[in-house]
Amino acid sequence: MIKGTPRFEAFTDEPITLVSEQGKWVGDFEPDLSKDQLRGLYRDMVAARLLDERFSRLQRSGRISFYASSSGHEGAQVAAGRAAQAGRDWIFPYYRDSAMVLTLGMPTREIIGQMMATRLDPNRGRQMPAHPGHGPLKIYTAASPIASHVPPAVGTAISMKLQATGEVTVCSLGDGATSEGDFHAGINFAGVQGAPIVFLVQNNRYAISVDYNKQTASQNIAMKAHAYGMPGYLVDGMDVLASYYVLKESIERAREGFGPSLVETTVYRYGPHSPADDDSRYRPKEEVEAWRKRDPLPRYRRFLENEGLWDEKQEKELLASIEEEQKAAQQEAQEAGKVPLEWMFEDVFAEVPDFLREQQQRLSPEEK
Amino acid sequence: MSTQNIVQTIARTLDEEMGKDERIVVLGEDVGKRGGVFLATENLFEKYGPDRVMDTPLSEAAIIGAAVGMAAHGMRPIAEIQFADYVYPGFDQLVSQAAKLRYRSGGQFTAPMVVRMPAGGGVNGGHHHSQNPESHFIHTAGLKVVYPSTPRDTRGLLRTAIADEDPVVFMEPKRLYRAIKEEVPEGDETIPIGKANVRKRGDDVVIISYGGSMAEAQRAAEELEKQQISTELIDLRSLQPWDKETVLDSVARIGRAVLVSEAPHSLGFMSEVSATISEEILDSLLAPPMRVSGFDIPYPYAYDREYLPGPNRILRAVQQVLDY
Ligand SMILES: Cc1ncc(C[n+]2csc(CCOP(=O)(O)OP(=O)(O)O)c2C)c(N)n1
Repeated sequence: MIKGTPRFEAFTDEPITLVSEQGKWVGDFEPDLSKDQLRGLYRDMVAARLLDERFSRLQRSGRISFYASSSGHEGAQVAAGRAAQAGRDWIFPYYRDSAMVLTLGMPTREIIGQMMATRLDPNRGRQMPAHPGHGPLKIYTAASPIASHVPPAVGTAISMKLQATGEVTVCSLGDGATSEGDFHAGINFAGVQGAPIVFLVQNNRYAISVDYNKQTASQNIAMKAHAYGMPGYLVDGMDVLASYYVLKESIERAREGFGPSLVETTVYRYGPHSPADDDSRYRPKEEVEAWRKRDPLPRYRRFLENEGLWDEKQEKELLASIEEEQKAAQQEAQEAGKVPLEWMFEDVFAEVPDFLREQQQRLSPEEK
Repeated sequence: MSTQNIVQTIARTLDEEMGKDERIVVLGEDVGKRGGVFLATENLFEKYGPDRVMDTPLSEAAIIGAAVGMAAHGMRPIAEIQFADYVYPGFDQLVSQAAKLRYRSGGQFTAPMVVRMPAGGGVNGGHHHSQNPESHFIHTAGLKVVYPSTPRDTRGLLRTAIADEDPVVFMEPKRLYRAIKEEVPEGDETIPIGKANVRKRGDDVVIISYGGSMAEAQRAAEELEKQQISTELIDLRSLQPWDKETVLDSVARIGRAVLVSEAPHSLGFMSEVSATISEEILDSLLAPPMRVSGFDIPYPYAYDREYLPGPNRILRAVQQVLDY
């Protein structure tokens, strides 16, 4: 990659695409990923989709109380997980990012442990499902309040710059989140500081029921970056390779000291916002169907097949091996058991203070 | 008269009031086509259209702040904050703008508006879907705060809040949204802000509560009845201003009080009630007023029910004041 010289054009009207809907490479450069890396992207997307379906089953059978589906977002999320240096770069996910954290290498059993609040949850059962966090992998525990993670993400990037660590922060959010003051406060500061951060906006055109046109009068979100003094890239998020290359370039530019960027990926959420949502109240079936035809998984599979990298037999083997792996992971997560009640008063402060120990005594035996 | 739960009552009351007063505008996230994530604004969009039932951008600062301006300009905005836990991005607007507009302008500008928000735990929502932030609001001079617990009180207080000349924070006990149904009268019934409801008369102990915790307080009172302990049960309904007279009256007569609130213990509203009792009627107390509260920890996802002051904790406190 040429230092500091962007390969991609910022502020395009049309999303950057590298693989067509028919699975043909349409980029003006040769992809430099190895065959294994190319197949890896597919594997990650399939694993994420299957995990999502598992969450849906677990939710319906009452074993988890909530989840936010990432189906339809895999192109952008897997790309981010692969474009960042896992374990080195800091990742600020939001609740819909299970495909991203899975790709980054958070063990499936821990992701499921978080969903079920068992002892395998690195967050120790403190949060509702779909709010993962992983210290060693630098996955900064998700918070529900939309966009509240943006200024802290910028803070980590400023710290990286001040300490010249060569790390980069990736901060992920939805289109709705760009309306919050915290988003603007954070991205503005990042621009001023030239901080090494990439804002990944997954634009699925809805914030629960509120459609894009009620969220902003701006033609797209990428162009908002202009006013904050950084490039904004509009990318087809259903195209995993386009998402990967643009994110990779943005991350590496940030690492080289060329400052922040914003990457808007156009995606679609196939399911309702959450199990409590009824999306038929606000979006037409035909729209969902039309986006289903653009599903990032079959599209990328067509690409791999066209390149001679994939066939039916590999597909079958992959599905079977992931199913087995996830089944075992779920079992492990479950067998670890629910987080114990003793943890309830821990981690409010570094030490449990006396007044909390005293309060702990008030739990009724029956409620324990 | 019809039988309604709390969310239905909210939607119907908003409808009634909007039908009568064109100045009323409902605004918030998902309040339009979706009818609110809890359906508290169901069918309003279809009936009144996008100008009066406004889906806003995802910004609580925009929702509350714009409501202040609309109110100052003569409208009657009713803002919905999707969960009380999400009021914080709009907190500055509530505290710095809504609460202080009348005072800082010497009464030239005012913000008659309602900010509705579902609050409280018991829904497996973890700390960002379960909190009870009423103390923040009560501690902000210029805001009125109500927290009803029944459909009928919800209607009466919502009507009063809409008509009020000052900003009212209208907290709704979300775990009771669909848990209780009752006959809700139509017509002119209103409930004044600052008036408690003595739900049940008794002689041995007064249990005072509000909001979601009223359900547990009620269960505790029923259990006590079985043990031949006679309970007076008070639902405060309003927290700022609150009904000191009713509370002091009951506590002075009976001498024993248990104060139940699921909000965190320290500086919870019941600290105020307890302090007032000891300042004003210490001589008539037979035991110190006992608080039963949530804990001073972030609302924990995995211990949703353990966090809430359930009937067991209330019964133990009652035993303590009886044995004192
Ligand atoms: C501060 C805040 N306000 C409101 C909510 C409730 N809420 C949860 S998700 C959501 C929509 C978010 O939309 P978007 O950012 O586009 O992400 P998406 O869910 O579409 O991926 C809302 C309003 C919240 N979590 N935080």
